[in-house]
Amino acid sequence: MRIVIAGAGSVGRYMAGQLSKAGHDVTIVDNDPDALGRDEAQLWKRVLGDACEVDVLSRAGCATAEVVAAVTGDDEDNLVISLLAKQEFGAPRVVARVNNPNNEWMYNEMWGVDVSVSTPHLLTALVEEAVNVGSFVRILSFEHGRAQLAEVTLASSSPAVGRPIGEIGLPRESVVVAVVRDGHVVHPSDDLRLRDADEVLVLVVGESEAQVKSILVGATEVE
Amino acid sequence: MHVIVVGCGRVGSTVARSLSKEGHSVVVVDRRPSAFRRLGEDFVGDTVAGIGFDRTVLQSARIAEAAAVLAVTNGDNSNILIARVAREMYGIEKVVARIYDPQRAAIYQRLGISTVATVSWASGQILSLLAPDSSKVLWSDPSSTFVLVERRVGATTAGRALADLESSGGRVALLTRHGEARLPVATSLLQEGDIVQVMVSTGALSAVDEFFGSSEGGHP
Amino acid sequence: MAFLRRTRREEATLVGSDCTPLGQLHARVRAKVSGQVVRMRARPARGLPSLEVVLDDGTGRAVAVWSGRRSIGGITLGRHLLLEGVAVDSESGLTFLNPAYELLSSGH
Repeated sequence: MRIVIAGAGSVGRYMAGQLSKAGHDVTIVDNDPDALGRDEAQLWKRVLGDACEVDVLSRAGCATAEVVAAVTGDDEDNLVISLLAKQEFGAPRVVARVNNPNNEWMYNEMWGVDVSVSTPHLLTALVEEAVNVGSFVRILSFEHGRAQLAEVTLASSSPAVGRPIGEIGLPRESVVVAVVRDGHVVHPSDDLRLRDADEVLVLVVGESEAQVKSILVGATEVE
Repeated sequence: MHVIVVGCGRVGSTVARSLSKEGHSVVVVDRRPSAFRRLGEDFVGDTVAGIGFDRTVLQSARIAEAAAVLAVTNGDNSNILIARVAREMYGIEKVVARIYDPQRAAIYQRLGISTVATVSWASGQILSLLAPDSSKVLWSDPSSTFVLVERRVGATTAGRALADLESSGGRVALLTRHGEARLPVATSLLQEGDIVQVMVSTGALSAVDEFFGSSEGGHP
Repeated sequence: MAFLRRTRREEATLVGSDCTPLGQLHARVRAKVSGQVVRMRARPARGLPSLEVVLDDGTGRAVAVWSGRRSIGGITLGRHLLLEGVAVDSESGLTFLNPAYELLSSGH
């Protein structure tokens, strides 16, 4: 895949390295020659310039890139880059980094963003997950917010404990993706009987979140 | 009217002071409170320290009452964000953003945002963009028989043919659309956001004003 | 009258030769297209208004979406439009996002 990464900070460079190693054709764009030139290895292409300019994005190959990732440390830049990538270059997938969670609300199709990643948000979710057993933790959003990947570590009080997945009454729009038990991933077949301390990963679409919560967590959960 | 000016640099402070002197209610927003010093002791209006595309900041600036938002910070990108939030989220019709990069300016004009570039005449341009109801006179001949006026096309006039405008008595000298100027053809249809320069006899000026009708009207 | 006849021809060339028929339009290529508005709707997305227009030129269709507004003066059902931009593949088909547009007088 051809990938254009805007922002040669630590996030951008890490991504470039990983994606190049995985065999993708990567170009990184940054206005700072030092940031661009820091690593000796020439695994990826570099373009020196302001990624908020159409000409620069063109030089970086956005017209043929499958993915454009706007991962600078500046939300304003990331949003503008995303808009240009989507609107002027038709990039099929635009991924953007949220720096300040207060700006997360803008990271959507209004600015051409398909997937937004907020490190503070993810970190909070992971912290919540570590701290709370029995809580419903949203890990990732998909489909412009219409689908959520969530995780619940079943408490002993969970109404789902002791019952097979197929019988707990999950709504049609949700599906158990995996169950992690004693450090192993267990296939979530309908007859898998859930146990206390199972980590259940569930994909929830649309309005069914509340129902899934009450099935896996229980009605008396205080958040 | 109530106007929010974001960015208290040279342009922002100048425009804010002018608007306030004309009797408008003005709120100036800037990230750095020290910038408000430029407004001077005699400035009548409010200030809010904060980021101009932040919804709580805009609410403190009473955006619900605003008729216009001017995004004139130093950053093109900040100005775009402010302009789009004001226009799309809050339905503000008169939104002006200062964009230095002409390529990006053309792109944002397609989103219905008026843009200004050069600092030196930005204040004047902004003030005239905020008063679209009357024809701005750019030039008149020595005998004051003919004037060259400039108007911005609003939603109500969009779709009308240039030929109709010309039959009200003027001759369209130039049409600027999406940042590009062109010599229009008589069959061209006027579009929202077009800036037209019309040569018209002083006698026919009121007919031209009538053609453009009242301003853009309420929120979308 | 001669003036008007000449200028109508000028407008015809504005549209003609470099327009891509919608049936041959590809995503991600900068193109000029023209067609008639056959469907129009103000579509809210995440609480923000947007205007969605379907254009048809007899060879195919494309969609144009303008964000942040419910209407654009002069864009009505039946109007002929010239659009310029880059189309994106989307669920509704080839879609132009906030394209540059020209209102065309009928007969194009």
